[in-house]
This record gives sequence, C-alpha cells and structure tokens, in this order.
Amino acid sequence: MSTIVVSPFKEAIDAVVEAGGKALKQCYQCGLCTGTCPWNLVKSFPTRKLIHQSQLGAADFESEDTWTCATCRACVARCPRGVAIIDIMKALRGVIVGMGAGYVPDGLRVTLKNIAGTGNPLGESAEKRTDWAKDLEIAPFTSDTEVLYFSCCIPAYDPNIKRVARATAAILKKAGVSFGMLGPRESCCGESVRKAGNESLFQTLAQSNISAFVERGVKKIVVSSPHCYHTFKNEYPELGSSFEVTHLTQYLAGLIREERLKPKKELNLKVTYHDPCYLGRHNSVYDEPREILTKIPGLDLVEMAECRENSLCCGGGGSRIWQETKKGERLSDLRLDQAVATGASVLSTACPYCMLNFEDSILTSNKGDMIKLKEISELVLEAL
Amino acid sequence: MARIGVFICHCGTNIAGTVDIGRVVEAAGQMPMVVHAADNKYNCSEPGQALIRDAIAEHRLSRVVIAACSPRMHENTFRKTVAAAGLNPYLLEMANLREHCSWVHSDGKEAATTKAIELIRMAVSKVARHEKLFPKQVSLTKRALVIGGGISGIQAALDIANSGYKVVLVEREPTIGGRMAQLDKTFPTLDCSSCILTPKMVDVAQHANITLLTSAEVKEVKGFVGNFEVSIVQKARKVDHAKCTGCGICWQKCPEKAPSEFDMGLGKRSAIYIPFPQAVPPKPVIDTANCRYHKHLRFVEEKREGKPPPQCRVCEKLCPVGAIDWEQKDEVLTEKFGAIIVATGYKAFEPAVYAELGYGKHPDVITGLEMERMMSASGPAGGDVTRPSNGEHPRDVVFLTCIGSRDEQRGRTYCSKVCCMYIAKHAIILKEHYPDVQCYVFYMDVRAVSKDYEEFYKRAQESGAIYIRGKVSGIRQEDGRLVVRGEDTLLGEMVEIPADMVVLAVGMEHSPGSAELAQALKVSYDINELFIEAHPKLRPVETMSDGVFVAGACVGPRDIPESVASGSAAAAKVAALFSQEFLTTDPMVASVDQMKCGGCLLCTKVCPFKAIDTQVLRDGRTVAVVNESLCKGCGLCVATCRFGAANLRGFTQQQLLAEVTSLWQ
Amino acid sequence: MAIDFEPRIVGFLCNWCSYAGADMAGTARICYPSNIRVIRVPCSARIDPLLVVKAFQLGADGVLVAGCHPGDCHYTEGNYYSRRRFALLYPFLEYLGIEKGRLRLEWVSASEGRKFSHVVSSFTEGLVSLGPREKVPAEGALP
Repeated sequence: MSTIVVSPFKEAIDAVVEAGGKALKQCYQCGLCTGTCPWNLVKSFPTRKLIHQSQLGAADFESEDTWTCATCRACVARCPRGVAIIDIMKALRGVIVGMGAGYVPDGLRVTLKNIAGTGNPLGESAEKRTDWAKDLEIAPFTSDTEVLYFSCCIPAYDPNIKRVARATAAILKKAGVSFGMLGPRESCCGESVRKAGNESLFQTLAQSNISAFVERGVKKIVVSSPHCYHTFKNEYPELGSSFEVTHLTQYLAGLIREERLKPKKELNLKVTYHDPCYLGRHNSVYDEPREILTKIPGLDLVEMAECRENSLCCGGGGSRIWQETKKGERLSDLRLDQAVATGASVLSTACPYCMLNFEDSILTSNKGDMIKLKEISELVLEAL
Repeated sequence: MARIGVFICHCGTNIAGTVDIGRVVEAAGQMPMVVHAADNKYNCSEPGQALIRDAIAEHRLSRVVIAACSPRMHENTFRKTVAAAGLNPYLLEMANLREHCSWVHSDGKEAATTKAIELIRMAVSKVARHEKLFPKQVSLTKRALVIGGGISGIQAALDIANSGYKVVLVEREPTIGGRMAQLDKTFPTLDCSSCILTPKMVDVAQHANITLLTSAEVKEVKGFVGNFEVSIVQKARKVDHAKCTGCGICWQKCPEKAPSEFDMGLGKRSAIYIPFPQAVPPKPVIDTANCRYHKHLRFVEEKREGKPPPQCRVCEKLCPVGAIDWEQKDEVLTEKFGAIIVATGYKAFEPAVYAELGYGKHPDVITGLEMERMMSASGPAGGDVTRPSNGEHPRDVVFLTCIGSRDEQRGRTYCSKVCCMYIAKHAIILKEHYPDVQCYVFYMDVRAVSKDYEEFYKRAQESGAIYIRGKVSGIRQEDGRLVVRGEDTLLGEMVEIPADMVVLAVGMEHSPGSAELAQALKVSYDINELFIEAHPKLRPVETMSDGVFVAGACVGPRDIPESVASGSAAAAKVAALFSQEFLTTDPMVASVDQMKCGGCLLCTKVCPFKAIDTQVLRDGRTVAVVNESLCKGCGLCVATCRFGAANLRGFTQQQLLAEVTSLWQ
Repeated sequence: MAIDFEPRIVGFLCNWCSYAGADMAGTARICYPSNIRVIRVPCSARIDPLLVVKAFQLGADGVLVAGCHPGDCHYTEGNYYSRRRFALLYPFLEYLGIEKGRLRLEWVSASEGRKFSHVVSSFTEGLVSLGPREKVPAEGALP
C-alpha cells in the first residue's frame, strides 16, 4: 500500500480548490455521484474518490479518469451538498493543461490543436464553414438581418450531420425568418474546450465570436447545439456579451405557436426523443422539443424509460466527443437500446454531439433497419 | 362474611361474541360469597357504572369483581366507581375476560366460556381476601437541593427559585460555572461562552431563594421523597467569606504559584485564588497543598530535618478585613430537602492511554479543552494559539475525533456527542484567526444531529478543513514537526500529514465520585457510572428513586442546549412535586409481621429500593420494617422471606394461594 | 388418549411486561390454546416458589412464569432474582417427580404479544405430549 503524504501537493490542491471553489470542500463523500454517474454502467469511474483525492491534493494526474467525465450533470443535479462536480473535473483538467504535465488523451490533443489553428475541431478551413448552404440561397448577414443562425461546427462540416443545418435553414426560409450566417467569422463556441481545461483557448474563441457578433450587429442568435446554447447563454456574459440566445427547439416551438410554421403532413411515425444533457439538465429545456414533436400530425411520441431529468447521457459532453471511447463502454449504445425498446422507428434529438454518437452507434451495432436517427429539424421539415 | 358482587361485561360483542354470558352469570351467582351476579352491556359506560353503584347499595355488597377487560385498562375507573358507592376502592378485583380470553380464544366458545368462569372464580377467591387499603399522606419540605453548579444545575436552581421555592446549590469547586465556563465559544452560533453564562452565575448569587454552597460536597442522604435529610461537607477555604469583600489584594500579592486547574495547567494561579476573574462567588480559597504557610506548618508538624520554609502569611497581613482564617475546618451541615436534582456533569477523558498519539510526550499534542483555554481571549494566552513546543503559530493542525469515545478497548463505548461539533468550531475559529492555517479532521462518522449542526459542519468544511475518514494509528516527531499517520478509508490508502499541532477531541466521562453519590441517593448508575433515568424516553429527568431527578451530562454526553433543557425539565418536576400540600403514597406496598420476623434481614439486602430498615424491639429482637415511602411494591421481599413475615398488600400470599386453589375447587 | 388430554396450566405473569404482553396478544387477536389461567403479580420476583409447588400439588400439568427481559425489570432487578430462584426450583421439582418441561420460565415484554401467544401454544403442546401428570403425594406423605 502506498502512502500519500498530504502536504507536498499543496500547490495543486490550491489550484483545484481555487478553480473548484467552495464546492470541493463541502463534499461529504456519500458516493451518490458515483452511483449516479452513467459511466459506472459500463466501467468503473470512482467519482467520489476523485473528489476526495482532489480535496487532499492527491489527484493522480496520469490517470485516464481525469478525462472520463462527460459533464452530463446527473451527479450535480442530485448531490446533497451541492458540490459542483463538473467544475472540479474541469479544474483538474485545467491543472494538467496549465502545468503542461500529466496525461491528455491523443484525440483531444489533436482536436484542440485543430480548434486553435482553424477555429473548428475538424481542422477544416474557416472559409468552407457555410459551404453546406451554398445551394440554399441564403442572403448574407447584414445589420438588418433579424437572426443569426449559428449552426455549430459539426453540422457545418461533418458530411453526415450537415443535413441538420440544411433542414434548419430550409425551415427558417419557409417560415420567412430573416436570418443569416457569419461564415468564416464564426469559430467553435469553445464550450467543450473549456471543459477540457483549456481556459485560455476558450477565452480566445469566445472573444473572437463576441467581437464578430458585435461587429456585425448580431442581436439574436439561434443555435442548433445545446453546447453553443449553454456557453453563449451562461458563460459568454462573463465576458460582457449580451445577445438573445435561443435554442432551435425553443425557436421552432415559438414559430409553431405563432403559426408561422404549420406542420401539416401526416408522418405516421412512432418517435422517441433523447434529451441532450446540455439542453435538459444544464438548461432545463425539456418541454419545447416535445411540444414540437407532438404538433406534427400522425407523430406518436413515446418516452424512453429514462427521460427528462433522468435522461441517460450519450457520452459526448465535456470533450468526450473528441476522445475515443472503447466499444462496450459507449453510453450511446446503451441509450440506443433504450430507444429501440420503446418500439419507436425514429430516435430524435436536438444536439449535434448526440447526433454524431448515435449515428456511430446505429452503424456499429447494425441497428439501422430497426431505428432511424433524425434531428428534430429534419422531422419538422418532413412535416411541412 | 363478605358479600361479593360480580359484574360481567359484554363489551358489546367483544366478550359476548365469544363467551356465553348467560352461563357465566349463572355460574358466578353460585360461587361462594357471591350474593349478586349480573351482566352489563358496557360496565365502563356511565350507565354501566351507575348499575354497579346501585347494585352495591341494593345488595349491600362489600366487595366487587368486575369481569371485563384488562385491569391495566380500567382498574382505576372501577376503583373510582366502587369508591363512589362508599366502598374502599381496593376492595375490587378484575377478571380479564377480554384480552386474556374472548379475544384470544375466539375459535372455541365452549372453552372460552369455561375459562371465563374460572377466571371469575379466581377473582372472587382473591377479592374475598382483599383488605381495605388507605393511601397515606406525608408532609413535604418544599426546599430543593441541586448538586452541581454547571450550566444544568444553574438552570435548574434558577427555575426552581423563580417558581418561588428555596434552593440550595452545592458545588464541589470554589466557583460555579462548570465546564461551560472554560469554553471559549459555543457551537453552532459561536457566541462567547462566558458572555452567556456569567450573567446566569450572577443571578444565582443574587437570587433571594438560592443559597449557594461552593467548595462543598454531599456526604450522606437519608429519608425519602418530600423528606430527605442531607449531610453536606463545607470544605475549609481558610477564608471567611462572610468578611471577605473579594478585593483581590491577596491573590495578587500571593508569592506562590501553581498550575491553574481552570486553564488546564496552561497558566498559573496563586495559592490563594479565585479560579477565573468572573468566578461566583468572587471570593478566594486557599489551596493548602501549595500555600507556603501550610507547607511550613506541615514541615514543623512532621518534624522534618533542616530549615523550615518561610511562614509567608502575606495574604493575612494584607487583607484589609481580616478574612484569612487559618483555623477554619471542614464543617458538616445537615439540611432537609423535599427533592434533589443531580447535575454533576462530566469530566474530559484522559487521553494518555492512547500511547501511539503521544499525549504528554509530544508537547504539541493537546486536548480539545486545552485548545478552548488557548483560544479564550481571557485565557492564559490571551486567545493566541501557539505551539506549546516553540511558541510559534501552527500552520497545519490535525484534529482526531473519538478519543475515548466509541472505543471499547481503551475508552468508553458511547459517542460523546459534542466532539464532532467542537472540532468543527475549532477549525472554523482557527481559520478565522489565522487564515494560513490548514485544518485536517480525522473522523469516523460526523455526528451533527441537532438544529443547525449539519450546517455548522458544512461551514467547517467550507472554511477549508479537510475531513479524512479514518482513525490515526500513530504520531511521530520529525524535524520539529509531528507526522500524523492513518488510513484514509475512503481512498483505501495510507496518508501522512506533517502537522504543527494535533488536537485530540477527547470525549466525556462521568465526573469523579458519581458512583458514590448514586449509591448515597439510591439511584442506579450504569457501567460507565452514568446515572440511569427512570425511563430513557418517557421519564428522562426522573430516577427510580422518587424525588431524585437528574439533569445535564451526568446522565450521558449532552451539549449545552440539552443540559439547559434537562435542567429546566428537572426543575419543572420539582415545582410540580412542591405544588402539592401532601404526598400520597401507594398503599399496595410490603409489610413485615414483626411477630413472625426471624431477623435474618435478607429482605433488607435484596430490596432494590433500600426500603427495608431494621428496628430493635423492646424484647431485644432485631426485625425488618418497611419504609412505606420508599417501597415500590415489587414483592421481592415476600418471596425472599423464609419466615412468611413479609407480605405485599394487594398481592398477599393468602390471595395468590387462594387464586391457585380456586382452580381445583 | 393423549389427543383428548387438555392440560391445566397456571401462568404467573408480571404486571409490567408479560401481563401487558398477554394483553397485547389479545389486542392483536393472536389466538392461543385456552388451557392457561393467568395470575397477575407485580413482578416475577413476587412469585414464591411455594405458589408453583402448590399448583403442582393441586394438579396443575404445567406452570408458566413470565417476567420482563433481563435488564428491563420495572423494579430494576427483580427478574434476576426470579431467574436464580427458579433455576434452584427445577431440581426440587424433579425430586418430586415433576418433569422439567412442566415449569417454564420466559421473558415476554409488553410489546411481545406474538411471543406470548407462541410461548403458551408451544408450552401447551409440550404438556400434551408429556401427557397427564403422576399425582404428587399428599402433604406429609413425601418420601
């Protein structure tokens, strides 16, 4: 048995305590977080132990565990002492990144390098950011444009997910919404970058976006990704921004309520909806996506056993989307099984990261003929 | 010849549904001495009771059997009924036809009816042998004795005094205030302990109904509830408090210093001293073990060789009122009291038995109470917390909980209840006073069970204290610091913390002499010498000895709010007792037939209540005699007596034999 | 013949625990055989062994003595005395030719209605299987 000598880690502890704030100190080690954490359905992830090691300044910076947390917020929502576990994970990663020592997963290293270089995780050219919309005849963004549609890098570049951005743009056009994009001036929102502990890169990205928005006279932003939504709405204001930020599901629900959008076509589909963690648990948006789906004629919405506050994470938050997750440990596979169990023919969601993970799960588990994956915008577009 | 009436209750269908009442009435009517047997829908209802009263008058009944429910349910009801009809209430017996028969034999009507008849026959044969019994009225002394002048005793004394009754408060130490006076601040509010305690101490000193005896101890207790006779030893203080004005010249000028008990030996006091500036009474005592004049006297008396130490007597020379009295001797006062409250409190556990922690060896390992004195602004260090080894401020402080508590091996089995909280308090205050201090707490469970306690524990964590679950297995000295080693059971790994100071959260123990006091008071005490309440839940401040109440930590570990609450509760019990003009005693107690008593006195030895005294008769025989005020009527003496001299009223040998015999008649 | 045998049982129950426990069995309607006849005493310590011997002499097939659990005595220690006293009575009963199974000492608390019922049932069954008792010699005719 090794012996931990507590005080030599004082500097590290101070850094984590400073970053994790009071939250870290308040933990009384009940273990509810470990029990709640979905990773423990597929492997061992001792959340409680990590917190306690951090309290002692004895965290193992060489451990993979530091990078496991998907920041799904299930533990935070239940913690009896209100410990901000995500902030602590973020702080631990920050210590590693900041000190330039310790283990950082390879996939993440590459992605962060891409984002730093090109402004997007895929390392694509910024000029190509709005190539997905080339044939859609969207007017360029001017100071008169009412809404900035911020698609998120994944729908902008990923060949499989581009369909989300395209469907969204088509709907907005049909509803007669005045909208546009900023093209190369847009960068990754930086939400996952921050969770990966790279605070300085986050600051750079956020500043870049904020100044672009300000320069171009953006007032209202509609986003496809709950991650962009979260950081624009809750974190950018720390840097002095004040834009009206709306998630696409909220915006579409509004359009339907105002009857600017009228889903008329009967779809005759049984659909189940997966709550993205950053839309649901992080921002309490549970009802609007369901409101939209139930307004689509012929659509039968069925819930999975775990939904809303208890929704199972796809495993893609907190920079996990850029790290390799071994087969057998993928939460999206478990979630897909839950979706199939409902008897639904369509799994619907409203997050590009979830889309990526489920695309992958459907493909690797050969469930393509059992269930199809459709973003809410795709379903709405089909019904118009 | 007794005229017995039997009243059989249907209890609706509760009894009548199973038992054939008609047959029972008929059978009862034929039993010996029964002159009237009747049934009744509900005996306990007012019309039912009226029928009983009328029948007593009409049939000139001299004894009554109620065949109904359990006597535990309605015996008192029917005693009142027969008393209302002019009978002695004890000429009643109940046959339990419901709980013991109809409700449990509902499957056999025949058997239940037979049993019901036999139960009535037993009751009839017993009631025929009942005697009239009369509760006695005893006068009482409306004056209370409170033993122990800590916060609990102070509260009890003040509450009784404010109810208008006289109180004598006896305290062993030269001042009242107890342990609470030693504390710096109190959890969870962090208000200053002496700021809230000393006004109450002054109230005690000034209250017209309270007589305060400090440096005094209870020696002997005689008598019983309402009429205790207590001998109290007033120890010699060598200072005449009637003359002393408390001016302070003596203790300022006294040249001899000794470690201060009040400051846990961290500071010094003079040989003539008051324990602390706000002591009540604010008048000094002379500690003869350390006083130079007394050392001189002992030297001379023991005829030791060499030059005797100087006579000193500075205090005597300087005292402006001539209050120093070298001739003063211990005095015994005998006083009468109607009730006694025991509030003797606790003493802190001595941690030296934990050799691995090095208390007494490493100067920087201290106890919680020592930390209190260190922190106290009026303490020996003026509130400055420093390492005893080098006088520097500590940076890393480790607290160890459960020292002497929850430890069957070297301590006490129980949880001392307050340690988790006072450790949290120390951690919070240290951090406030010295922002670079890092506190660590080794704990097993954090017990924070009263109002605002959990929040207080959270506050300690917030202040930066790191809680590590585990018990420390060793402390060693290394480079002038202490290295505290233990397992972090939540990590499953050993941890070592280099520390400047270690605070042992010592638990609470019975105060010395508790067992002797309990024996004198005939109150039971447990293996830990803690007093035992009459009932741990329903009679928490009473004892099995009537008129003796318990308050505060002498019953078990208690914090200040609980000690105050139990002090008030005990006072309320005393006030209720004193509100009566007379005390009524239960007549169903034992008696000894002196003609039969052989004087073996075995009964006096077995009686759990020490209720049997001895008496020497004129013919020279020594016999047992029951003190009816103390007897609780258990009957142990009856079964013990080999001469058949002891008997128990209401359950006499003749009555029980008659019950047995009736079953075969 | 043993089938029709209805043993006669005398039960001495202390007022505070066992009698209350028997009351509890009633309140909860937990049935048991009706062979027992209960005599209430303040404490099991009140039970003079003479009363037990008398019951056997008169023809009782079994005697039940029940008190508070050790440590729970209403009078603090009465049941300890009973425990020792009845331990001494057994050899004497044996001397009289009364089998050990005919005297039963039990601790039944005020809340143990079910236990009381169980004790009476099993005691009754045990006595049924022991069968009717040999008559105790009359007083003065003891060997």
